[in-house]
Amino acid sequence: MTSYLEIRRFRDDQIIWVSRNHLQLNQLHDEIIQRVISVSVKQTEEKHGSLPCPFTFFMMGSAGRFEQSVWSDQDHGIIYQQQGTEINHYFLALGKEITQGLQLAGYDYCDGDVMASNPLWCKSLTEWRQQLANWSNNSNWEGIRHLLIFIDGRSLYGDESFLEKLKIEVYQTIHKENLFHKVLNNTLYLKKGIGVLGQLLLETHGPHTGSLNIKEKALFPYVNGIRLLAIKGNIYETSTLLRLEKLSELVLPSIKRELYKQQFLKLLNFRLSLSKPDNYENSHYLPISALSKKQKEEVKDILKNGTALYRYVRNLIEKEDD
Amino acid sequence: MDTLFLMNSLWVMVAAVLVILMIGGFILLETGSTRMKNAGHIAGKTILTFGIGSIVFWAVGYGLIFGSGNALIGFSDFFYSGYDIEGLSLSGAVFFLFQLAFAGISLTIAFGGFAERAKLGAYLVFAVLFSVIVYPPIAHWIWGGGWLAEHGKQDFAGSTVVHLTGAMAAFAATLILKPRIGKYNKDGSANNLAGHNQVFTALSVLLLWVGWFGFNAGSTVSVDGAFFGFVAVNTNLAAGAGVIAAMIISWIVMGKADVPMMLNGALAGLVAITASCAFVDTWAAVLIGFIAGFLVFYSIRFFENKRIDDPIAALSVHGVAGIWGTLSTGFFATPELATVGQPGLFYGGGLHQLGVQALGVVSSGAFAFIVSFILLTIMKAVMNGLRVTEEEEIIGLDMSEHGSYGYPEMVKTEKAIVSPNPKLNA
Repeated sequence: MTSYLEIRRFRDDQIIWVSRNHLQLNQLHDEIIQRVISVSVKQTEEKHGSLPCPFTFFMMGSAGRFEQSVWSDQDHGIIYQQQGTEINHYFLALGKEITQGLQLAGYDYCDGDVMASNPLWCKSLTEWRQQLANWSNNSNWEGIRHLLIFIDGRSLYGDESFLEKLKIEVYQTIHKENLFHKVLNNTLYLKKGIGVLGQLLLETHGPHTGSLNIKEKALFPYVNGIRLLAIKGNIYETSTLLRLEKLSELVLPSIKRELYKQQFLKLLNFRLSLSKPDNYENSHYLPISALSKKQKEEVKDILKNGTALYRYVRNLIEKEDD
Repeated sequence: MDTLFLMNSLWVMVAAVLVILMIGGFILLETGSTRMKNAGHIAGKTILTFGIGSIVFWAVGYGLIFGSGNALIGFSDFFYSGYDIEGLSLSGAVFFLFQLAFAGISLTIAFGGFAERAKLGAYLVFAVLFSVIVYPPIAHWIWGGGWLAEHGKQDFAGSTVVHLTGAMAAFAATLILKPRIGKYNKDGSANNLAGHNQVFTALSVLLLWVGWFGFNAGSTVSVDGAFFGFVAVNTNLAAGAGVIAAMIISWIVMGKADVPMMLNGALAGLVAITASCAFVDTWAAVLIGFIAGFLVFYSIRFFENKRIDDPIAALSVHGVAGIWGTLSTGFFATPELATVGQPGLFYGGGLHQLGVQALGVVSSGAFAFIVSFILLTIMKAVMNGLRVTEEEEIIGLDMSEHGSYGYPEMVKTEKAIVSPNPKLNA
């Protein structure tokens, strides 16, 4: 495939076949994204000459965690080996090319501008090292937020070792500086999914009236909670399921690990099988009226366990502080 | 001149000033609950229509309510010139001003149903028609010695006369004007066209709450026995109970202490206690306000689901709470306090007073709704529609009706606020 529109056609042809299967769907997303990057690299080489040095392109957000639904927006960055003004320009141009390519291939731009077209997320290895150190040293709210985004990064193209090295350093800093409490505070806000009467709290206004916002109310507690435990346990995986699998008994007892894994998998399946995935926004809402009584109970269990997981993580971190 | 006459006059004058300041409360309530692009228009038209209402009340409104006539309408004392009124132990001019203020409040409530989509011309014409044809008959029936007064209808300060009448006109207007652009989606679900300033809305509630001491306590129209203090206490208790109830119910059902809902709860408590403030014990005032806070929550959701777009919740706050308040004396009026009518159901009065109250609600509500509906339908035909064009509605009534924005620097950048949160969880 030599053009973005061709890749888009490939995507549209293929995606319906895997749209109900979490694993295959995410494999397809990876393949599409990798194809886009190949085309982008070629285009950039044609315009600006051959690659000046090795680099890695990594995805963050749901793509980084291998947890995309049918539609997703783009969150990504670039790390390149050497430094220099011209090299900076070169990779920023590549980042812009990839960003546009991904948009043409069906991935919305990121509202928060977490994209390789933004100099903040497109840097040399040395600059990245400085930036990550700044984020952890200042450890203000925004810095920690950026660190957490970075931690979900997963290489899709180029030399993986760059990202690995940086992540190891970030983890070390978090442990050394004991930033866990700050990390916890950064993601502590939890939108309530169940009311005092045990009812599901659904959207009351807008096009999703009567649906449950599963992104904020169900996915967030699992993703954020497990990410924190993964940092704690020095697990470098990015997918929530893999993180769960690898967590040690000390961080999370196996009985809980199994429970949360089941619940999270169920949640991903609910999202793929029941939300109307005709665009990015819709895939975050679960139309509750379409659910059977049993399914509704399952959704409630997922929410309750998410809250329990959150409480567990919070206790774990706060206990250590004392 | 005797001291009591002067004291009464002074007290009611203070009350009249408080009630007229409630117009300021309504300006903040209505602008705070709606969008920026209409704020200047809403503020300006509220003052304008109060001006129109004042002149009409002087010319004919007062005479239709309090003039000598029959059981249905009064018909004398037009163009009131400031003379003292026989049988009143306070200045006639003060009494007149106090009554004028009530008519102005009712009119302002009615215009809540017009918000964000009616032409300025519709406000001007309906201000006159409402002040002549809708409000005076009902006020005459209950307060001017008309047929409901003869039955012993209890409406101390106007849950029915002022609030229900205004709300029913607002109801007719919302039905005829139809929902605002963007309020409903194709599948019938409602969007939340959030008001632009919750601080305004909260301040409006405070201003109205204090104004209500004029409204209710002032309705004693005398300082005799300092009874106004008791009325004011009941008023305050009902408002407090209303805000608490609305907070509790919104927290239970929606999982959040919704600010606009709490504010509407306070207002619903105030509206409900308006009829009963002089007839019930303090504990009953708390209960009446509390129930009003619950009712307003369900009422707002009900109207929204029925695709009736009521931007400032006039139907729920003034209509539903007004009905409940009027009926409440039928339950809670005590033998000692029921100087008009009879004690309520819980005080051995049986169903009699409740029946009278229900009769008052049904007849007054139906009259206000039907007459307003007919008037607005005729206006719609004659005035080539009551609503601004789609384009005008989108640019805002500030610009379309008045040629300048209430927030000239801000409104051009008014757009959906994009979450600044990068895609940590995307």
